[in-house]
Amino acid sequence: MGVVVLALAAGFLTYSLSVGGVHSKRGEYEISAKFGEAGSLSPGAAVSVAGVKVGTVSQITLEPKTFLAVAKLSIDPTVKLPTDSTAKITSDGILGGAHVSIAPGAAMDDLKPGGQIENTQGAVDLFGLIGSVIRPQGGGSDAAAAPAAPAASAPAASY
Amino acid sequence: MTAAEAARKVATNPVRVLGRSTLAAVRMVGAVGVFAVRGVAAALTPPWFLSQLWRQFVAIGFFSLPVVGLTAIFTGAALALNIFTGGGRFNAEQVMPQIVALGITRELGPVLASLMLAGRVSAAIAAEIGAMRATEQIDAMRTLSTDPFRYLVGPRLLASVLMMPLLAAVADTIGVAGGWLVATRVLDFSPSIYIRNTLDFLQLWDIGSGLIKAAVFGFIVALMGCYHGYNASGGARGVGRATTHAVVSSAILIFASDYLLTTLFTHAS
Amino acid sequence: MTDVIPKLAWKGVSKRFEGRAVLDGLDLSVAPGRSLVIIGGSGQGKSVTIKTALGLMRPDAGKIELDGKNTVTLSEGARRKLFSRVGVLFQGAALFDSLTIWENVAFRLINADGVPRKEARERAIEALEQVRLSPDVADRFPSELSGGMQKRAGLARAVVAQPEILFFDEPTTGLDPITAAAINELISHQVRRLGSTAVSITHDLASAQTIGDEIAMLHGGKIIWRGPAAELRTTDNPYVRQFVEGRAEGPISHAV
Repeated sequence: MGVVVLALAAGFLTYSLSVGGVHSKRGEYEISAKFGEAGSLSPGAAVSVAGVKVGTVSQITLEPKTFLAVAKLSIDPTVKLPTDSTAKITSDGILGGAHVSIAPGAAMDDLKPGGQIENTQGAVDLFGLIGSVIRPQGGGSDAAAAPAAPAASAPAASY
Repeated sequence: MTAAEAARKVATNPVRVLGRSTLAAVRMVGAVGVFAVRGVAAALTPPWFLSQLWRQFVAIGFFSLPVVGLTAIFTGAALALNIFTGGGRFNAEQVMPQIVALGITRELGPVLASLMLAGRVSAAIAAEIGAMRATEQIDAMRTLSTDPFRYLVGPRLLASVLMMPLLAAVADTIGVAGGWLVATRVLDFSPSIYIRNTLDFLQLWDIGSGLIKAAVFGFIVALMGCYHGYNASGGARGVGRATTHAVVSSAILIFASDYLLTTLFTHAS
Repeated sequence: MTDVIPKLAWKGVSKRFEGRAVLDGLDLSVAPGRSLVIIGGSGQGKSVTIKTALGLMRPDAGKIELDGKNTVTLSEGARRKLFSRVGVLFQGAALFDSLTIWENVAFRLINADGVPRKEARERAIEALEQVRLSPDVADRFPSELSGGMQKRAGLARAVVAQPEILFFDEPTTGLDPITAAAINELISHQVRRLGSTAVSITHDLASAQTIGDEIAMLHGGKIIWRGPAAELRTTDNPYVRQFVEGRAEGPISHAV
């Protein structure tokens, strides 16, 4: 019986470490991308190309001078990305986890380790958008919608 | 009033009763302290009885795995559901994996594993050593030129202190697994994101502080079992009393030291 | 007349339990190589006498002398050396439940004397043969043995290291007359074979006369009679007479 428990624990642990894979150094190379808004992107989030995971976000820091969010991306060594690729912060669904989606460009050269993706699109503030649709700048909406907008944007603000 | 009445009045005088109980409590703390020092000295200095130590590793460590595993998986699952509900009140359900992992590694893993062992191991030790005391086996051992502290107490203390953190680690893993199972099957979390969020969030000290607590609790469990068993008196009833005292005192000391350690570790991190 | 230093002596030993004086100035000695049996009513302190001699209990007053040296104040380490010269058969045999019979018998050899297991097992089986237990008992556990066989195993454990002094605490209590007779015979055989000094306590008179050279009676915390085994039934001492004849009435009142 004890062996079963140990096996289960070991199994789950191995599975976790392989899925997590954040700190496994399997020869991945690092590139960076700067975003105006990181949203709920966090270290460990996936980096994907055409919906296929090719790496993970290893670090997110704030660049002090430009106030941009700098994300370090750890990419699978077998995946080469053209220098003019675009990085976008997107999510699986409305409430799904945020991750980075890379659309490859058409350039001849590939990004080297330490390189940077120039074209980026930050996280979309969904609730902000909804709010500005319901209550466009300057007013003109009905009274019922107005309380709905601040209520909808309040949870977003608390993030 | 008669002499008997006067004597009873004196004996039940509240100040005397208070004084007597306080003195008894102090005496017990002292006795346990002395016992603990002797036990630790026996555990840490040669000669060691390695075969006895190994038997205790297996008895305390390996055979406790099923109980710890069952405790952990159900606790992890239930905790996940509750934290999800609570997080939902702040629209922060997505942070459930991290909170669950923190709660399990810092607190529930070590504490619940130790409580299950308080019931299982402390009672078994108290019963075994108590029965040995009642049948003069401990006296016999001394006459066979073998120190019962080295043969009986030391190995149990050492094994418990070493095995409990391992059991807590297993409890941590299985507890998180329980939460993961519920999250992925019932709450529609993404399996890999749940795990990634958990692993990224957990700090080494979360797990480490839990393992240190487990070691302390392990010491308590074995000490209470050995102390009450060694001092059992009065035949079968005495053994039964020793077993009960061992379990209850282990549990109380675990809770008390848990609070102290948690306070210490919160300030330290 | 040259005085032989007694192998073991109690001098003025007193011990109280919860206000009651169980031993009150006990004076007793055993010459080397002799077998002394202590008899007395139940609860009279016979076990306490042995336990103070062994150092399992500390007397409140008095001295215990082994070969003339006081052992009451010995440190735990020195006492352990003392124990290596002693063999004890406890009342219920006190075998260790979780060890096999041979591991029990060889316990001292393995754990205190550092004898390798193979050799210890051989010596244990020899000792078992000495007490008429067959070698196939060796790998069984104490709970699988009858009371009589457990006592025999306990006896083997006590004698395996050829001790200088043997103690027997109620060796025949709880045994049927035939098994008791067998145990008595084994004990006297072992004592003679080893040339050890022996101290036994019992309230079984047949046992006392079989295993003892001398008999002493304990009553009221003191020795009230002492003499050769043969004189047990012929003495005039009223306490001994009441005990021997098994009368409820007499100078011994069962206060407890």
